[in-house]
Amino acid sequence: MIKGDDLKKALGDYIDKMPPLPTSVGKIMEICQNPATSPNDLNKVISLDPVLLAKVMKLINSAYYGNTAEITSLVRAIIMLGLNTVKNLAVSTAVLATVGKETHKASILNLEGFWLHSLCVGVTAKLLSRVRKIDPKEQESYFICGLLHDMGKLPLNNKTPESLLAAFQTADQDRIPLFQAEQKALNFTHSEAGSLIMLNWKLGDDILDVALYHHNPLEYRGQHKDLLYTVVLANYFANIMEIGFSGDRHPVKPPPEVFSRLGITWAQVEALDDQVMQEIERAKVFLKIAI
Amino acid sequence: MNITLWGTRGSIPTPGSQTVRYGGNTICLELRCEPDNRLIIIDAGSGIRPLGGKVMGTDFKKGPIKTQIFFTHTHWDHIMGFPFFTPIYIPSTQMEIYGPVTYEDDPLDKVIGGQLQYRYFPVTSAELAAQITYHRLSETEMDLGDGLKLITKYLNHPIACLGYRFEQGGKSIVTIYDHEPFRNLFITDPTHPDYDRSAAEEGEIAAAEENKKIQNFMKNADVVIHDSQYTQKEYLKNKLGWGHSTYEWAINSAQKAGVKTLVLTHHDPERTDDQLDELEQNYNRLIRGKTPMKVIFAREGMEL
Repeated sequence: MIKGDDLKKALGDYIDKMPPLPTSVGKIMEICQNPATSPNDLNKVISLDPVLLAKVMKLINSAYYGNTAEITSLVRAIIMLGLNTVKNLAVSTAVLATVGKETHKASILNLEGFWLHSLCVGVTAKLLSRVRKIDPKEQESYFICGLLHDMGKLPLNNKTPESLLAAFQTADQDRIPLFQAEQKALNFTHSEAGSLIMLNWKLGDDILDVALYHHNPLEYRGQHKDLLYTVVLANYFANIMEIGFSGDRHPVKPPPEVFSRLGITWAQVEALDDQVMQEIERAKVFLKIAI
Repeated sequence: MNITLWGTRGSIPTPGSQTVRYGGNTICLELRCEPDNRLIIIDAGSGIRPLGGKVMGTDFKKGPIKTQIFFTHTHWDHIMGFPFFTPIYIPSTQMEIYGPVTYEDDPLDKVIGGQLQYRYFPVTSAELAAQITYHRLSETEMDLGDGLKLITKYLNHPIACLGYRFEQGGKSIVTIYDHEPFRNLFITDPTHPDYDRSAAEEGEIAAAEENKKIQNFMKNADVVIHDSQYTQKEYLKNKLGWGHSTYEWAINSAQKAGVKTLVLTHHDPERTDDQLDELEQNYNRLIRGKTPMKVIFAREGMEL
């Protein structure tokens, strides 16, 4: 089992070749190979897979705009580049990644549970932004940041599962949140791993900040506090309601500052329960999966 | 800077008695800059063949031909003339070729030079005498030397396509082809089962903003040569998503951009001379007294 700087290095090598989640690849291929696919379907299927979404956006930016992350929204990419271009990019991303996939050792994280948790946080964060009457143009950022917040767990799971297992065991034994267990057992956290991914994929600094600080929001001094705090709330909601599972059996209730800055009460968050479940059901039906 | 239009037709060359006045050659534009009549060519539709003849008669007399060809995109009507451009067979010719390539497609030299394969043409790329270098372009600003500046902008077309803005000595010339106005592709009918409110709203904003960027790209230009293959009626009937603009759109957005002369090009293959005459008269009548902008329908041989 490796930890600390050795762990960081091992993950860095892996991050470039990360495959999309198995849940959506089948649907993506079906959608992208159908000439009658609508922009709505395409937008939906890509958005629902955090790895694919991130990779497609990275590809769009590097293929057309060099190093500056010009396009940060999939909707805008479809408008600017057209349906067929984005379809082709999605297919090549999904196919290449699947073809290059190594057979993993036993997965510590249940990937479908991970997907469900990520989707729940994305959906909840976006619904919360609507409650707070955030500009519709920015609501999508809330979804994306929520969807991608735990990405750091994937390379830990796929490349260094023994390390992740050690963290899980520490969390169970000491009854502490996974984040703290990672720090204790590995001297490295999934938040840091997530930030490595975001840096590598050149996604916006909002997505990076959320990935890095979603377990220690009060230490954050940047410009995306609202976004970060919203995802923190959404993450707690998903964990408490046990919608999906991302390895946290002992989630920490967000500090009062998070609630007060957002002007949201826990009752308001809980009240979103039905809407969140509806969105998730719709996604499951769409992707034709049974979890 | 001066321009000469060597091809004003879109899609396919259209020889014949009905297209003699406006011309049947596909898109090709000759741009002459300081100093010494520096030669820049935009697109190599079939019109580049007679341009090659002229260049052999004028430039070659003064010495080896040096030129840069900028491709707006690699659709066939914009590249088909390349194998027939005589300077590529002359050993002393130095040519730099620029253009966008759609992701995952072959590199530029394969796409353009790839027309020169035995299955299509009796001379292969390797047998060309000229020195040709290929440069892939994306959205960028370039200093072309001699005070000539180039800015490029992605347009809206099924494959990667660049608009070009050349500036020298306070004058500017812009090409906007091939281009279709951006539009919201997402379902906007709330009763539709796939309706996604945030995608619909964001799509609307994105389309408007991208169209504004194109308008800004044309800002205060002396000459804009703009794609206008359809009338608004034809477009709405069955040409949505075909990658081309309407006369109405080109005129309105160029006017808002403060363009001084608008040249409407990429004529539909079905458009006869008489029809083009009528369209030119009609549109000019509609805008008379409402704008200082000059609106001209592109003709082969036209000089500006």
